[in-house]
Amino acid sequence: MSLTAAGVSYNYGRRAGVGPVPALAGVSLHVARGSLAGLLGPNGCGKTTLLKLLAGVLRPAEGQVSLDGQPLQRLSRRAVARRIAVVPQETHPAFDYTALEMVLMGRHPHLGAFALEGPADLAIAAEALEATGTAHLAHRNYMTLSGGEKQRVVIASALAQSPDVLLLDEPTASLDLGYQLDVASLLRRLNRDRGVTMVLATHDLNLAASLCDSLVLLREGRVLADGTTSDVLTAAMVRRLYDVEADVRLHQEAGHLTVVPVGRRP
Amino acid sequence: MVPRAGGQDPSPVVARRVVSIVPALTEALFAIGAGPLVVGVSRFDQFPPEVKALPSVGALLDPNTERILSLRPDLVIAYGSQSDLQTQLGRAGIRTFSYRHDGIATILDTIAELGTATGRQADAARVVAGLRARLDAVRARVAGRDRPRTLLVFERQPGSLREVYASGGVGFLHEMLEIAGARNVFADVARESVQPSVETLLARAPEVIIEVRAAGLIEGVGAGDTRESWSVLASVPAVRTGRIHLLTGDYLVVPGPRLADATEAFARALHAEAYE
Amino acid sequence: MSVTDGVARSGPPVAGLALPRASVRTRLLTAVGGFGTLAAAACILAPLLGTTEISLARVFDRSIPFQDNVDAQIFFVARLPRVLAAALVGSTLASAGVVFQAMLRNPLATPFTLGVSAGASLGAMLVIVLGGTLATGALAFGPFTPVAAASLAGAAMAASLVYWLATRRGYAMSTSVLLLAGVTLNSFFSALIMFVQYIADFTQVYRAARWLMGDLDVGGFGALGSALPLVLVAFALFARLPSSLNLLSLGDDAAAARGVDVVRAQRLAFFSASLATSAAVSLAGPIGFVGIVVPHLVRLIVGVDHRVVLPAAALFGAAFLVLCDLVARTLLAPVEIPVGVVTAMIGGPFFLWLLVRRG
Repeated sequence: MSLTAAGVSYNYGRRAGVGPVPALAGVSLHVARGSLAGLLGPNGCGKTTLLKLLAGVLRPAEGQVSLDGQPLQRLSRRAVARRIAVVPQETHPAFDYTALEMVLMGRHPHLGAFALEGPADLAIAAEALEATGTAHLAHRNYMTLSGGEKQRVVIASALAQSPDVLLLDEPTASLDLGYQLDVASLLRRLNRDRGVTMVLATHDLNLAASLCDSLVLLREGRVLADGTTSDVLTAAMVRRLYDVEADVRLHQEAGHLTVVPVGRRP
Repeated sequence: MVPRAGGQDPSPVVARRVVSIVPALTEALFAIGAGPLVVGVSRFDQFPPEVKALPSVGALLDPNTERILSLRPDLVIAYGSQSDLQTQLGRAGIRTFSYRHDGIATILDTIAELGTATGRQADAARVVAGLRARLDAVRARVAGRDRPRTLLVFERQPGSLREVYASGGVGFLHEMLEIAGARNVFADVARESVQPSVETLLARAPEVIIEVRAAGLIEGVGAGDTRESWSVLASVPAVRTGRIHLLTGDYLVVPGPRLADATEAFARALHAEAYE
Repeated sequence: MSVTDGVARSGPPVAGLALPRASVRTRLLTAVGGFGTLAAAACILAPLLGTTEISLARVFDRSIPFQDNVDAQIFFVARLPRVLAAALVGSTLASAGVVFQAMLRNPLATPFTLGVSAGASLGAMLVIVLGGTLATGALAFGPFTPVAAASLAGAAMAASLVYWLATRRGYAMSTSVLLLAGVTLNSFFSALIMFVQYIADFTQVYRAARWLMGDLDVGGFGALGSALPLVLVAFALFARLPSSLNLLSLGDDAAAARGVDVVRAQRLAFFSASLATSAAVSLAGPIGFVGIVVPHLVRLIVGVDHRVVLPAAALFGAAFLVLCDLVARTLLAPVEIPVGVVTAMIGGPFFLWLLVRRG
């Protein structure tokens, strides 16, 4: 499934005297089927808003988002959820669900209104837990898990939706180095072995460099650059995006570009 | 009657300006001819009609001390529970008369005490004697007749049998009922009011039901509503024989000089034949 | 690879009393069967007990005409309607509690959190106090008494006000605005209720205070019949909520991302739970603690999946209130304790215990 945003803009609320506060303006991007795209930008650039628009959770004020050419507006919430899944930055359930229950909730768009999941759904959930290495946590209370375990369970929950597209918002933000690598390799595996199209919003330039084959750079609600990782991730771009001087070079052993910040741009 | 709060008692022995927060005692004052002395009443005072023109000073929960003081009374009739108010008035050198809520004997004693306080002892004695005579007359009229088991209801949620409040075996309502020739179904309950459940009403099975209401049809409680609400209790003798009476008027529930009227009203409802 | 492989290596169980990790279908059937039996048993047992000695043989003796049969009257006019009212109100308040807790994402929410009950109480107070001066008799319509009608009106007004406040920004209901609006309305209405009581006379104040303690002694089936249609509508709407409730309790965005029409689900939850609460309060006054104790107890036993919790709470709520009312009317016989006092005396210590357990 390819995901396209065409001329999308979105506003948050209104500011007195000024009018609506724009979060995104005239954003267009295309995520090809099976690709792993990264969404980069400083705080407040609109990454999370763009992800929500791509997921169909928010409706754009202008422009439209399409899935394989079909506008999301035309599809029901359930139909969209069957194809697109979101891994948010944080998940705070109000009740003590087990990891398995969290993952099974991902089956919701595939069930009927009052439907209870059947053996097939349980199998898919089990497989999702396996794929994220969290099967042994199935009956543990989600809230008692470590940050890394929680994140993997949430990814499993998104996987249980059997999506064609996976949108992730800062998936490694609260994880330590070990878990970061685990999640990164998990995502890589899912993308390569299952062909899941992915869009990854992140601050972590090195993660983006290691995982993503294409990048979209956002600044103040507008697209700054859009293209393959090697084309887009340059010192000049980092300077324009973050006002930071950085050394960008190919790391022989890691096999991908690395970004080392050197100093703040005065 | 004791002057409230310590210290000097500079006010005259006989009161000349009276504020009464207790409606029953306001009535008593007017009955013994002390009406002209009354300069302020509670906001619930209704009788006699003259009181409506008098300034209001609040009631049990919200007595307005300023207002009371501005009327320059030398005697204030207040509820026993209004101890703060009475202390305040005592400090201002104003005599207070504490209302005691009890049976008929207390009501008659109170009328006599008010007579002393207002210098109208003779009138008070006359009123008391008159009331006693009328009560005795009622007793005589109904003597020897069957005394039916009676439920005396003074509150009920209109349209249903929820929140029924009936007279227990203590208090002036109970005593009036017994004088009028009935046996209170709740005579064994040592409280003034009882809130019986539907089950209790069915179990006690009164032969007569008397409902008293201060206001009348305004509340939506008419004779029709009364009969209809009680009809649910099909096995209760009062319902089956139709001996359900609705009496309206505030004289029925005020423990004051009109209690003889109320007693007669009960007697007429219970023993109509005795009054033909 | 199946899920059962994970069970062998699973960590500590989630709930204190853990049912076997059966499928939700099995757990639902077991819960409904178990709690349903409990509710049925309570409803059958309770009318047999009371302050008056009655003989069951006489109650069902057809040869005695109903009007003459005091035992039958006590059973069918006094006790049975009361037990059924308790079951109805308990079931309704417990379910409404579950729905509000999920919708507000807060296990400490009650059916009264959003001010619906305060509105209902204000309506009832006004009729009780103004009954002597206004033609409140005209308020009665159909099987509703003036007090019941006024409390329904008050509840509807409160719910509408909260809804309007929470949806002013157009899109989905903001739960924080909902909570704020509810708390504000509660305070405001409580102040109004106090004022109304202040200007009332003696007996009215007492009647008003008594109403606020809750009363299930409906006497006959009339009042039940008036509340029943409202409750049935609410339950019909509840039936469509459980899986949405699970998802809503994760957060609006998380729910939307999994295919829930968040606006519609919130509206449905708010409307049905408010309707249920209004019906219960107008029938029996604001009986507290049922809407919070029962959901918590049920979650301790069946877990937190709302598809099981909601029906289980409805059934357990019925049993719970029937038993509380039984205690209320028999413990200190012949004096009756207001049922709200009994539920509070159970609810208070229960919460203390929960706090201690958690700490």
